[in-house]
Amino acid sequence: MNPTTDAPPPWANQPYSIKRHGVNITNCDSEPVQTPGCVQAHGAMLVLRHTDLTILQASENTDRLLGHPAETLLNKPVRTAIGPDGEASLKAFLAIEPTDRNPLYVFSLPARNDVPPLDVTAHTIDGVAVVEFEATGRTVAGEPDYYALVKKTVARLQTAQSLREFCDLTADEFRTLTGLDRVMIYKFHADGHGEVFAESRRADLSPWLGLHYPAGDFPQPAREVFKQIWVRPTPDVSGDLAELVPLANPDTGQPLTMTHCALRGASVMYTEYLKNMKVTAGLTMPIRRGGELWGLIACHHYAGPKHVPYQVRAACEFLAQVVSLQYQAAEDREHLAYRLKLDGTHQQLVAQATREDSLAALTGGTPNLTDGISAGGAALYHQGRWWRVGNTPTEAELEALGEWLNDRPEFASATRPLYATDALTQDYPPAAAFADVASGLLAVPLSRVNQDWILWFRPETTQTVNWGGNPHEKPMVPGPHGPRLTPRASFELFQESVRGRSLPWLTVELDAAARLRMLVMEVVVSRAQRLADLNANLKESNEELDAFAYVASHDLKEPLRGIHKYAHQLLEDATITDKEQRRKLDGLMRLTVRMDSLLDSLLHFSRVGRAALQTEDTDLNELVNESIEMVDARRAEGPTEIAVPRPLPHARCDRVRCREIFVNLLSNALKYNDKAQKRVEVGFVAPREVHPRPGCPTGSADLTIYYVRDNGIGIPARHFEQVFKMFKRLHGRDEYGGGTGAGLTIVQKLVERHHGRVWLDSTPGEGTTFYFTLATQEEA
Amino acid sequence: MSWTEQSPVTLVVIEDSDEDFDTVQEAVKRAGFPAEVLRAATGVDGVTVLRAQAPTSPTLVLMDLNTPGTDGREALALIKSDPALRSVPVVVFSTSFNQRDIGFCYAAGANAYHVKPVRYPEHLAVLIDVLTYWLSRVVLPVGERSRP
Repeated sequence: MNPTTDAPPPWANQPYSIKRHGVNITNCDSEPVQTPGCVQAHGAMLVLRHTDLTILQASENTDRLLGHPAETLLNKPVRTAIGPDGEASLKAFLAIEPTDRNPLYVFSLPARNDVPPLDVTAHTIDGVAVVEFEATGRTVAGEPDYYALVKKTVARLQTAQSLREFCDLTADEFRTLTGLDRVMIYKFHADGHGEVFAESRRADLSPWLGLHYPAGDFPQPAREVFKQIWVRPTPDVSGDLAELVPLANPDTGQPLTMTHCALRGASVMYTEYLKNMKVTAGLTMPIRRGGELWGLIACHHYAGPKHVPYQVRAACEFLAQVVSLQYQAAEDREHLAYRLKLDGTHQQLVAQATREDSLAALTGGTPNLTDGISAGGAALYHQGRWWRVGNTPTEAELEALGEWLNDRPEFASATRPLYATDALTQDYPPAAAFADVASGLLAVPLSRVNQDWILWFRPETTQTVNWGGNPHEKPMVPGPHGPRLTPRASFELFQESVRGRSLPWLTVELDAAARLRMLVMEVVVSRAQRLADLNANLKESNEELDAFAYVASHDLKEPLRGIHKYAHQLLEDATITDKEQRRKLDGLMRLTVRMDSLLDSLLHFSRVGRAALQTEDTDLNELVNESIEMVDARRAEGPTEIAVPRPLPHARCDRVRCREIFVNLLSNALKYNDKAQKRVEVGFVAPREVHPRPGCPTGSADLTIYYVRDNGIGIPARHFEQVFKMFKRLHGRDEYGGGTGAGLTIVQKLVERHHGRVWLDSTPGEGTTFYFTLATQEEA
Repeated sequence: MSWTEQSPVTLVVIEDSDEDFDTVQEAVKRAGFPAEVLRAATGVDGVTVLRAQAPTSPTLVLMDLNTPGTDGREALALIKSDPALRSVPVVVFSTSFNQRDIGFCYAAGANAYHVKPVRYPEHLAVLIDVLTYWLSRVVLPVGERSRP
């Protein structure tokens, strides 16, 4: 963490004492906090040889509290300090109670002169008995019933519905119990930095809830201590320290391990830190999960020293243990709730995607991917493109990231292909360019073949947290021991340590991502399956249509040919002379011929719908000229004029089929015409040309509209739709030259194949205009 | 060389429709060629008839494409893949003008493909044209098959 830590500390060759050596910010992680050599001077301490209760060490303030200077007590029996009754009680207590590393209340010393009654607690460690003396804090009014208080608190904690509510309740209960001004539930994150997760405070204090503090604010040695003790009092932050006399145990030469001592002298680092925050007294309890330190219950007081007596501390200690145990249960409940919420949101997402038949709903809808797993942004790669929501890297960056992800070994797992990191730059250095939005990445593949992904992104931690103490403005606060003693100086280093890091992904989140992947894959697969089914159905109907066309062309025609033949042969039979019979045979033959052409039309129509178009740039003038030649036979029926007033444009179309459109329309124009002089006009209306466009469907007005106009018999408006129906004729079978009635149906089909529309405008008796568009230009 | 100098031609007609077979016979009569007409109602029968033929006389097959059982397509494939029958000309008659059928027949080795018209006079005319062409204008192979 710092180059100076390589140098040996100044206390390397002698017992450490806070008073003598102090510490500074650069070596706080190596401060021997468990052997500080000093006690908090509001109390006194005696260190006894366990075997004979001889005083080996005494705090230098025994004169004031016990009436004997420390030097006069050394090597004396303990009764010198606490009297023969006291010694007898202590001896009996140590013999039967489980005092190893476990300070317990033994008895109280009565008040003496200006010294209040003292609580005597004792524990044993490393062959010594440590006896601590503190003011009892008892009042004349008597003690509150701590047992009842704690019992009530425990009952209340069990009702908490969420982790937050649990922590809020804990903070409230501890404030009631201790009477301190502010109680914070301080939660450690995986990277070591802390967050005020819950808070109970005196109304006039500014809230610290939600503030984050760098890991360096709470050094590692202090954390280790809280894995061993349940309560840590600092009744007077500005109080003096009293050094042990002598500093080392004369029997062993070792400093006293004070881990379990209530009076253990606090690191100057710590008291300085508290003083910077105007804290005058403190009390801290750990919240442990298994052997790990989850967080702290940190109580601060601002109105001068605040001694929390042993009885209350014992209640706090017990409560901290209860909280630690119940915390686990509350966290399990919380994770369950979060898991349910994630699954609920994800199921909604999948339902949405299924309904809209598109995975785009995952990023485009409400909810979207960022409403489930907590993330700053999310991206989906599907159908060859990225879909993004929230804060994500750019598409180019995603492209490269996707390529890189493809080779991650995590995705080789058949059961759970998933990659998650809270420090993407460590695995993928180019991520430094977008660390602000994606220091954290959670990735699940949807398809290895198509390289489809769902990605969630988390921003760099420094982007998201509310740093306590405004470190940017006040990097250093000068203290009595110099500017280096302020914890804030560690911020720069800390910031370095969280650069490129996001909040970590929780196990519930990884599980939820894996489950979402399965759900989404089902949607994708069922969609692909559906498409395949539809295609198969389509293919089947096409084949059925083919088969039908075949039946029409062969199986229906064969008997028809037979019927025709017999009718023909009968007509040739000279013995049939009856005119009526011959007329009927003529009719029979005519009907078979008609049936034959109907079958041909049907067959042709079925082909028009299926055969592929071969579009090319086509000069429509050529096409119209060819069409006119093809209807020439009809022109011979009477005087006819086919005019093309101005040259037609080029169009992208299938030459043969487009010509068929013109031939059919021209042929109809001439056929349904009773005028002496038949006139037909072939022309067009350009896209932006000012020209009436009667009957023009929406969306067709901005396309070139072609028309074939005649001066024929016209069509009543009520038949406009019907004329396009298969085999629908508006006239008698043999009127206007007969015909099967398939021509316009085929025209409509051909126009539709060119993505165009066909419609008509007509005045009965005056003429009809058929319009159509060809919209295949865009497909070139 | 004219037909009169040839031995009489054997005409194998694979046709399931009585009416259409009758039309073929009428066409043979009107064309006026001395031909022995053998009918098979199915493709497989047609192949059997062909194989039973003495290989000495020139033979022509007229075949309807869609016949019951072994369909004309199969019969065509059988004939054209049999070294002993391969050289026998096969003229297909079908109601279908579907390119798939037409393409198949030529690829399988058919010597000609004709669409049967529904109108009787036309049908008759096509048959007479075909018979005239194959029986008087074309020299039919007798080669290997004619050797005793």
